Amino acid sequence: MRIVVTVKLVPDLNAEKRIDPATKRLVRTGMETVLNPYDEYALEAALQLKEKLGDDTTVTLLSMVPESSKETLRKALAMGADDAHVLSDEKLSGSDVFVTAAALAGVARKIGFDLVVCGGLADDGSTGGVPGALAEHLGVPGLTNARHLEISDGTITAQRETDSGYQTVTCALPALISVTMAVGEPRYASLKGIMGAKRKNIALLSAADAGVTETTSRTELLSFGPPPARTKARIVEAADGAAGAQTIFDFLRERKLV
Amino acid sequence: MRHVIAFAEHRKGQTRKVTYELATQAHELAQKLGGTAHAIVLGEGAGALAESLTKYPLDVVHVAEDPDVDAYLLDPTIDYLEGAARAIGSSIVLVPNTMYGRDVASRLAARLGAGLNADVTGFAIDGERVACIAPKLGGVTITTCAFEDCEYGVATVRPNAFAAQPGGAGARLETLAKPDAKPYRMRIVNEVEEASSELGLEEAPVVVSGGRGLGGAEPFTTLLKPLADALGGAIGASRAAADAGWVPYSLQIGQTGKTVSPKLYIAVGISGAIQHKVGMRSAGTIVAINKDGTAPISEFSDLLVVGDAFQIVPALTKLINDSKA
Ligand SMILES: Cc1cc2nc3c(=O)[nH]c(=O)nc-3n(C[C@H](O)[C@H](O)[C@H](O)COP(=O)(O)OP(=O)(O)OC[C@H]3O[C@@H](n4cnc5c(N)ncnc54)[C@H](O)[C@@H]3O)c2cc1C
Repeated sequence: MRIVVTVKLVPDLNAEKRIDPATKRLVRTGMETVLNPYDEYALEAALQLKEKLGDDTTVTLLSMVPESSKETLRKALAMGADDAHVLSDEKLSGSDVFVTAAALAGVARKIGFDLVVCGGLADDGSTGGVPGALAEHLGVPGLTNARHLEISDGTITAQRETDSGYQTVTCALPALISVTMAVGEPRYASLKGIMGAKRKNIALLSAADAGVTETTSRTELLSFGPPPARTKARIVEAADGAAGAQTIFDFLRERKLV
Repeated sequence: MRHVIAFAEHRKGQTRKVTYELATQAHELAQKLGGTAHAIVLGEGAGALAESLTKYPLDVVHVAEDPDVDAYLLDPTIDYLEGAARAIGSSIVLVPNTMYGRDVASRLAARLGAGLNADVTGFAIDGERVACIAPKLGGVTITTCAFEDCEYGVATVRPNAFAAQPGGAGARLETLAKPDAKPYRMRIVNEVEEASSELGLEEAPVVVSGGRGLGGAEPFTTLLKPLADALGGAIGASRAAADAGWVPYSLQIGQTGKTVSPKLYIAVGISGAIQHKVGMRSAGTIVAINKDGTAPISEFSDLLVVGDAFQIVPALTKLINDSKA
């Protein structure tokens, strides 16, 4: 079975984020980039499936990143992915959800897959829209927010987290899933994994290689600004429970909240 | 001219306030765009909900009470929405920014070749160009992002961001035709409710949240729930509390949980990590109860009372209940 895992590189959450006023894009240079943490969970889920299904199952990483960042993917290869396909093209920089999904779909089709596994979110302010859009572009079912994955007889069964609990969903492959953090903590790379990753293949593709023709975004950022500032709290030490409660009660009264 | 379509999320006909917020906003946008306002209600219980939506200022409420919508995940819903949007013509589709709504929106936008704007809290209209105002990067910046010259635009709208206002002359009810039969593959085998969905966390006017500082599952029911009840609100949690199994993940607030913007947010025994902050920073008023006066939550709350939650919370609940008596 062939599993494709989408991975994105995102700015380190702890680094300061800003948008370049000229290009209106998130500044990605000069900032630590790391694997999107949610995609590490996607990879963990894929590796768990590979362990259950046996060695003829392969896990391929699929990523759209600038060529200069492609080495960051070695970490994911060291965790246990078999190889990586990287789509890197100036034409695709600043793509919105539609173009990103169309481009990833082009490469996934070229690689071939039984299952595409995505992280539930990207840790960079984007909106979690790619898995659903990718499923559409691939023309396969998209089982989102999945955990407890089982595959047998070409059918995947998963629990899909909902607003108020979960649903058990079954789906014949090929399919796309996005996983939640409940699939389990991403594994650490072993020393052997790290050594082995150096020899694993990272294939570079251009938009043309991937058969991507659609590069016009459907949305345009017109402007941006800071949110209304939140000021530092008034800090009150409570002498005891009653005093603390009274402080809060009076404050809520003042703001007409009780 | 552009039309506006509101997607009504519901469960067996039970819906949340955001549905009426979208219906109201659909009308307001449609007026500015010179088009008509629509709502679409699908699945079991759709008829009853559609009936209640006719009291809102919509032109047409489209209904399909098709069992496939509840038996299969997403695919039938997207087929219906695509069919309706194509029949209505160039339009902006409003979907609630909820877990399910986000799935619907991303699929539908790709299907329609439409732009997608997420977590929208306002609209700016310039002629026929529609731009969406939305907080991004975990709220550190507010963006205004336009739909480009595509026929359709899809926006997921944050609950509690717009008013719900009945009105209008009474919308027309229309039944949607079933889309061409397709072999749907994602079958919903069963559904398990872990948290009561009576009051959606995302739209509760008050959220009382607990974190690791509560030390276990019990204080959520003995401490927080009574306070939330006294304030007419819902309870939430930090990831640490959900990870510990004290509450279901559906109560988690933050980057990997829900985003809430209630009038009042009370954080009890929560330190205020950045991943938690991004899910609640747009609340009207934030009050924190924490043993530690230097906890990060002091940087973005309005009032931090330094003390023991186990002492303060019951006393506060009593003060509020007594004041109502
Ligand atoms: C990729 C990723 C995604 C994440 N997503 C989320 C998310 O969506 N939501 C989220 O919340 N977190 C998320 N986290 C986790 C986040 O980083 C924090 O670890 C978490 O929010 C901490 O929860 P807490 O505040 O309850 O616990 P702690 O940070 O342990 O804080 C507990 C607080 O309770 C106080 N306290 C202890 N006892 C008492 C008492 N008796 N009375 C009053 N106060 C007391 C302590 O002083 C302390 O400030 C995520 C982390 C990662 C890496």
